[in-house]
Amino acid sequence: MSENKDIEQHPGDGHEGGHHHINYLGIYLALVVLFLISVAGPEVGELTGLRWITLVTAFGIAIVKANLVIQNFMHLKWEKRLMKWMLATSLILMFLMVAGISPDVMNHEGNNWENIAAKAAVERGVEAEVEEAEPVEVVAVGFSAEGAYRSICATCHGAEGMGDGPAGAALVPPPANFTDPAFWADRDRDRIVAVLENGAASVGGSSLMAAYGGLYTDDQISELADYVMAFAPGE
Amino acid sequence: MAHAKPLATLRSATGIPTGRLAVWWVLASEVVIFGGLLGSYLMHRIGHPEWAAAAAHTQTWIGAVNTFVLLTSSFTAVLAHQAAERGNGKEAAKLLGLTILGALTFLVIKSFEWANEISHGYTITANTFWSFYYTAAGLHALHVIAGGIIMGFVAFDAYRGRELHRVELIGIYWHFVDVVWIFLFPLLYIAK
Repeated sequence: MSENKDIEQHPGDGHEGGHHHINYLGIYLALVVLFLISVAGPEVGELTGLRWITLVTAFGIAIVKANLVIQNFMHLKWEKRLMKWMLATSLILMFLMVAGISPDVMNHEGNNWENIAAKAAVERGVEAEVEEAEPVEVVAVGFSAEGAYRSICATCHGAEGMGDGPAGAALVPPPANFTDPAFWADRDRDRIVAVLENGAASVGGSSLMAAYGGLYTDDQISELADYVMAFAPGE
Repeated sequence: MAHAKPLATLRSATGIPTGRLAVWWVLASEVVIFGGLLGSYLMHRIGHPEWAAAAAHTQTWIGAVNTFVLLTSSFTAVLAHQAAERGNGKEAAKLLGLTILGALTFLVIKSFEWANEISHGYTITANTFWSFYYTAAGLHALHVIAGGIIMGFVAFDAYRGRELHRVELIGIYWHFVDVVWIFLFPLLYIAK
């Protein structure tokens, strides 16, 4: 290995890699072929019904491609060992961090804890997926404000609108109680429509109240708003 | 050259040219930045099966074209380095110019892709998947922009036969930007 000839940086005399004859075109073509396989992977995975094929062609090939680039284009294989250790340290620290956090992020409950928001997000998402899969006409024909309230809203806001639905018990902030006069002190019908349509976060409220504009038509949202308004205590 | 070089660029305790050591040092910290971000995305993605519905909306073929563009720009960057090694600054500058063209192509495609997605309501606040999508691809795009600009300066000098060793340095950085995309592509477009 070179001792001190690297000190003055001139092209041609500095880099060990310069004395190696690398077939850059060959490496590039190999990268392109690997890239094409990784794009084709999901198709094959879908045809054969084997999801692991997609995962292997996606991430396995990414690692091979990255290694080709790092070794041959970045010339890491001719770099001094010190440099490799420096990069390895940084990689190891990164993996340590991810590994340390992963149990808390990938699980949504443990012995003494529960990630309610994450669970709710999964549930909401899976529900939305099921509804997305159903033809819209079915929802339109079968719609009634009461039915929609019972099946969707009541799980958190309670069948009587008191904010005491089973799924809402653990939410922070708690679901709104529509029978509470204080709730109606600063709310009108337009706001209820806006929240149903775009979620409470759209008017500065809790993001736990999701948007339903994609699920219902404007008319249905309007009916639902009337239904919710009916819980308001009379003056 | 009219003025003396700063001492730090001339001395080397490690036997590695200072510039190259510095670039690798930057990249070692980038590993943690991008690794942390992509690792967080991966962990959340595994914990949230419902993200599949959102992820299904990313446009694979656009990501694929951009992967090809970056791979090709990496190729021209390494050819520029080869030209610089041979002392051919003009050729190196020309090849760096092609690499900058690759960077611009990548950014133009990305801006059309994002404009299309945003117009469909898939914004950075739509849900956590899209937040990760725009943060990861956005941070990467910032690196593409920075790389393109620096490459312009290096090419300007190289064309006049000056500071040819910098062609290699910007190349190492550029390949890293390519490597990050090599991982972003399967994460956001393929195995979604």
